[in-house]
Amino acid sequence: MYYVRPETVAEVLEAGEKPGMLYLAGGTDLILKLRRQEVQARGLVDLQAVAELRRIRVEGDRLEIGAMVSFADLLNNDQVATEARALWLACRSMGAPQIRNQATLGGNLANCSPAADSLPALLVLQAQVRLLSHSGETLVPLAELLERTPLWPSGTLLAGFRLPLTGGASGFAKLGRRQALAIARLSAAVALREENGRASGVRLAFGAAGKRAFLSADLAEKLNGLVLDGGFTEVACREARKVISRALGERASAPYKREAVAGVVREALASVEFMKSGEGA
Amino acid sequence: MKIELTVNGVARILEVEPEERLLDVLRERLHLTGTKEGCGEGECGACTVIMDGKTVNSCMVLAAQADGHAVTTIEGLGNRGSLHPVQKAFLEEGAVQCGFCTPGMVLSAKALLDRSPHPGKEQIAVAMSGNLCRCTGYDKILRAVERAAGEVKE
Repeated sequence: MYYVRPETVAEVLEAGEKPGMLYLAGGTDLILKLRRQEVQARGLVDLQAVAELRRIRVEGDRLEIGAMVSFADLLNNDQVATEARALWLACRSMGAPQIRNQATLGGNLANCSPAADSLPALLVLQAQVRLLSHSGETLVPLAELLERTPLWPSGTLLAGFRLPLTGGASGFAKLGRRQALAIARLSAAVALREENGRASGVRLAFGAAGKRAFLSADLAEKLNGLVLDGGFTEVACREARKVISRALGERASAPYKREAVAGVVREALASVEFMKSGEGA
Repeated sequence: MKIELTVNGVARILEVEPEERLLDVLRERLHLTGTKEGCGEGECGACTVIMDGKTVNSCMVLAAQADGHAVTTIEGLGNRGSLHPVQKAFLEEGAVQCGFCTPGMVLSAKALLDRSPHPGKEQIAVAMSGNLCRCTGYDKILRAVERAAGEVKE
């Protein structure tokens, strides 16, 4: 195996298109997989030196997050804390300090574990994914990308994420076996706005409930337009059970997660800023 | 491949394999055996070192990734004659039993106190959450970090 650390995107793409080369982000998943020989590589293209992949910045009405931004960077960013609350909460629940210092948002998507903490949050925040290759840049909605296998052709560079700044509120909750470190058994992210006392623009996504994180169109439809009172949370919890039940089918974890989801959704809704204080929770 | 890194303030030039972990290079090549391998998969924190001011699990970092960076291991903190305040606090509180987790614990505490000299209880608990101890039940460790925070105060 060999190792290169290019400093520009052009050099990265050139190195990455050679057969058997893998991009290395933080390495918290990839290094273990290489050691267990679950993944083979002829060489690694370490992305740590490409400055533009490490940036978080607001551009007009959107938030641009580079693929090499670490979970710790996201957690320390005020813009993320306020404008992308669900993502911030997901970062806070992810791993331990050592992992958050090293693991990156791009790596979390590229590894695409069913339990990847950031993905439900990015889904409800309507993230678009920036992919670079020699044929140029493409922007793909995350929800659409997650339906592809593989996520992208080899040699493609995941450059970052674009989040529209909609001014809506969002939240996230996760069920794990302990607070720190634990891999999510189930996670839920939610985004919504309040319009004249009613819910609008509702989006709910789940993680660790099936092969990949997913947005539930059914739930969004059921919840949009409902009055944001105590009953809203009850409807959301009830409907979420049905969604999880369908998503998990006969899996061994289904009876547990079908019940647990109500609590996770309740917590996710309670973590939304205006639901916390107000009528909804 | 050749890498250049700073370990405990000393510049090192080393010839390593690209798949070699930082943990192995520290222990096997530099004989800094204070850094322990516990689980080897980023769960236990026994192999914690500080890289550019941030804690990482050295079992999940390739030595190649550490090229150009500054690494602090437990050997870089203090010695018998002059203990680091965190080490002193661990001794005073009796926060060490078998000792295997201690180097990682001490480094997590140091990284916290360097960044935030007066942490609250919650902040300490979060900072130490990536380090598992199977002996102490954590109370004394957390108290030691609080004590060290007091010691560190001007």
